[in-house]
Amino acid sequence: MVSSGSAMDPEQVVRRNPPGTKAEDFYKWSPQSFDEMDSTLAVQQYIQQTIRQDFTDTETILTAPPGQDEGVWKYEQLRQFCLELNGLAIKLQAECTPMTCSQMTATEQWIFLCAAHKTPKECPAIDYTRHTLDGAACLLNSNKYFPSRVSIKDSSVAKLGSVCRRVYRIFSHAYYHHRHIFD
Amino acid sequence: MDNGDSGGNQQNKPAETKSPYSMPGILHFIQHEWSRFEMERAQWDVERAELQARIAFLQGERKGQENLKRDLIRRIKMLEFALKQESDRAKVHKLKFGTDISMEQKHNETNEESKTNEMQTTNAHMSWRHGRQLLRQYLQEVGYSETILDVRSQRVRALLGNNYEVPKPTENDNQVVNGDLSDEEDDFDEVDGFGDAEMALAEFDFLNPPDSEPDDMKLDWSVDQNKLNAMKEQFRQEKRQTKKKELKRKWTRPIKKDLQNMLDTLRGSELNRATEDVDIHIPDEELLGVFIGYTNFSCQNIIFNMLCLKTMDHDWFLTQDSTPTKESYRKTWNPKYTLRSHFDGIRAIRFLPNESSVITASEDHTMKLWNLNKPLPSKKTQALDVEPIYSFRGHSGAVLSLEIDTEGSSCFSGGLDSTVRVWSIPSVEIDAYDTYDPSVSQKILVGHTDAVWSLSYSGTRQQLLSASSDCSVRLWNPTSADPLVQTYTTDGTPTSVCFVHCDSNHVVVSHTDGKVNLYDLETGQISLVLTEGDGIISSGSINCVVSHPTMPVTMTAHDDKHIKFYDNTSDTGKLIHSMVAHLDSVTSLSVDPNGLYLLSGSHDSSIRLWNLDSKTCIQELTSHRKKFDESIYSVAFHPSATYIASAGADALAKVFV
Repeated sequence: MVSSGSAMDPEQVVRRNPPGTKAEDFYKWSPQSFDEMDSTLAVQQYIQQTIRQDFTDTETILTAPPGQDEGVWKYEQLRQFCLELNGLAIKLQAECTPMTCSQMTATEQWIFLCAAHKTPKECPAIDYTRHTLDGAACLLNSNKYFPSRVSIKDSSVAKLGSVCRRVYRIFSHAYYHHRHIFD
Repeated sequence: MDNGDSGGNQQNKPAETKSPYSMPGILHFIQHEWSRFEMERAQWDVERAELQARIAFLQGERKGQENLKRDLIRRIKMLEFALKQESDRAKVHKLKFGTDISMEQKHNETNEESKTNEMQTTNAHMSWRHGRQLLRQYLQEVGYSETILDVRSQRVRALLGNNYEVPKPTENDNQVVNGDLSDEEDDFDEVDGFGDAEMALAEFDFLNPPDSEPDDMKLDWSVDQNKLNAMKEQFRQEKRQTKKKELKRKWTRPIKKDLQNMLDTLRGSELNRATEDVDIHIPDEELLGVFIGYTNFSCQNIIFNMLCLKTMDHDWFLTQDSTPTKESYRKTWNPKYTLRSHFDGIRAIRFLPNESSVITASEDHTMKLWNLNKPLPSKKTQALDVEPIYSFRGHSGAVLSLEIDTEGSSCFSGGLDSTVRVWSIPSVEIDAYDTYDPSVSQKILVGHTDAVWSLSYSGTRQQLLSASSDCSVRLWNPTSADPLVQTYTTDGTPTSVCFVHCDSNHVVVSHTDGKVNLYDLETGQISLVLTEGDGIISSGSINCVVSHPTMPVTMTAHDDKHIKFYDNTSDTGKLIHSMVAHLDSVTSLSVDPNGLYLLSGSHDSSIRLWNLDSKTCIQELTSHRKKFDESIYSVAFHPSATYIASAGADALAKVFV
C-alpha cells in the first residue's frame, strides 16, 4: 500500500501492508532496486519483489544481483521456494492420504525414507511431504547452521543441497502420482 | 586361561597327586585374591577421599566459626565503648533536663542489663550528631568505606529478592521501621553489632505489636520494644544523615515524619505524651545496652532482618506513598525464547490459555504451534530457540489474523484468501514429526470476499467476529452447522475488531480512516462513535483496537504514533487520554488480563510496556528487524502466566519473561 503521504512527498513511499489492505492491493508498491534496500532482509525482499513482477520469468528470478554472495542467494531462494511449496502441499493434503500413498515413491524403483526422524523412517507420502517441509523450515531457520541471513558458513552450504534433494522428491511424487495437481 | 592351563596340565595332574594343590587351583586362588585386594584398595581410596573431603569441610567450618567469634568480640568491644560514651553524654544532659529523663529512667532500671546511665532528652540534634559520629568512627576504625557498605546492602537485597514473602499488613508498620533500620544496619552489618541488636529488636516487635502502655513498662520486653523502635528511628535518621548525598535512597524529611508517626502509633500513650524529639531521642546507651544483651541472637535474626529489609525495599524504594506493588510485573522483561521457523513475516501471535505455548500465523501461509517448555538446548543463556511442534497448513495465502478460544482447544485464522478456518489444536506433547491428522483442520468459514484482517473471539458468547477489507464484519458460530450468524457492513474499511469485554453485546471496530465505532450486535447498528471530543476525527489509519478487560475503556493504536483511550460509557464516546507512544506508527496492542498494563508494538522495532494507571512507559524492548518498512506486527500477553510475546516481519517471534 502506498501511503497517502506519498501524494505530498513523492519520494516517500511507505512499503507496508497495514490492516485493512485489500488482497489485490497487497504489496502494491513500486519496486526498489536491490541497492536501495538497506535492511538485513534485503535479499528476500528482492526475490519476492522479482517474483511479483513476473512469476514466469524464472531467469530473472534466479539471477543474483551483482556482488551478492552466492551462498546467501541460494539460501534465500530456497527459503522462498519452500514457502511457495506450501501451496502444493496444501493441495496434496487433500488428496494424498496414507491410504492412497502409503510410501513415498516417485517411480517404482525408489522408496524414499523420511530423514526428519532420528532414524530414517518410511513415512506415507503425505507425512513425508509435511515432515520434509517442516524439517526444511527448522533447518533453514536454525541458529546452529544459519545464524545470519547475510552470511552463510561454508559448512552449511552442503545442507542446502540436501534440502533441495528432499524437496525435489516431493515434486517427483506429485508428478507421478498426482499429476493433475502437479499441473 | 584356566581351561587352557587345565588342558595343558592334565598330564601333570596325576604326577602331583601328593600335594593337594593343583596348578589351575593355585592360579585361580591367586587371581581371586588379587581381585579382592584390588577391590579393597579401591574401597580404601574412596573412603580416604571421603574422609579428606570431610576434613576439609570441617576445617572450613571451623574457620568460619572463628571468624564469627572474632567479629562478635569486636562488636562487643565497640558496643561497650559506645555505651560508655553515651553514659557520659547522658550525664551531661541529665544535668540540663531533669524531668524528661525520669520516665525513661524507670525503663532503664527495668532492663535486663544494668543501665546505670540516664536517658537523654529533647535535644535531638546533639545526640544524633554524636551517634552519627560514633558510627562513623567505628567504620573508620574497621576500615570500611561507605561504598563498600552500599555494595553490601545492595547485594543482600538482591540475594533476598527471591526469598521474600510479603508479610501481613498489620505488621507493616513495624516492618517498615524495622526494615528501614535494618537497611542501615546492613551497611554496618559486619562492622558493628548493631545489626545483630537490630535484629533482636525486630524480633521483639513481632512479639509485641501494638502495646506500649507506660504501665506495662515493667515488662522487659515491652520496654525494650519501645526503645527499640526509638532506637531504630534514631539509627534511621543518622543513617539518612550520613547518606544524604546519595540521593538514590530517596529519604527525605517527610518520610522521617511518616516513620515517626508510625512509631507513635505503635507506642501508644507513652509516645503521645512525649514530644517527637524525645521519642527519637532514646538514649544511645540504653540502645547499646540492649544491643549488648542481645548480640547473641545473630543468626535467626539476621534472616528476619533481611526479610524486613526486603519489605522495606518494596515499601520504601519502589512506592513511597503509593500502594504496595503487585509483584507480578514489577520487574523488567527479558527475552527468553526466540521462535524461528517461519519463512516470512509473522502477522499474529497468541498464547494458549493453559499452557506455555504459542501459535503464530505467518505470511508464508502457515501457522505453527510451539511448546515453550521444550526449547532447544543451547549454550548461550540469553535466548533459547524453540522449534515448532505442528504446522497448520491450509490457507492459500498469507495468514493475517489469529485467535484462540478460551479453553485452548481450537483456534481460528483469517487470511488473505478471504477464508476463516477453524482448527483443533493438537496437544502440546505431540511429537513434531507425527503422522498427518486431517482432522486438525475443522472448518472453513467462507463468506468474506477479501482479506480477513482481524478476528475476535468471545468466550461468553462462543462466537467469532471477523473483519475483512471487503468492508464487512461477520459474526460466526464456529461449532454450529451453519456458522455464519450475521453480517454487518461497515462504513469504511475495518482494520480491527474486538468484543467489548464488559459487555459482549457490543463490539468495537476501527477503520482505516481513523473512525472507531461501537456496534450493538443485536441491532447491527452503530451504538456509539468514539471521537476525540470536539468533532476531530484522527486522520491516520487505526491499526489495532483493544477493549479493556474490566473497565469500559477502548484503546486504539494509530498510524500517527498515538495510542488513544476512549470511554465507552458516555454518550459521546469521549477521548480520555491520548499519548504519543512510539517513533513510528503503532501496530498492535495487548492488555494484560488484570487490566493493569498495556503492551504496544510499533514499526519502529520497539515494544513498550505501559502502566495503565499512570499511562507511563515502564519498559521498552527493542526487537525485530525491518522488512520493507514494517517491523512488529503483533504483541500478546499470556492470559495466565507471565509471558509476553512479539511477532515481527523478520519471521521471528520472541517471548519475554
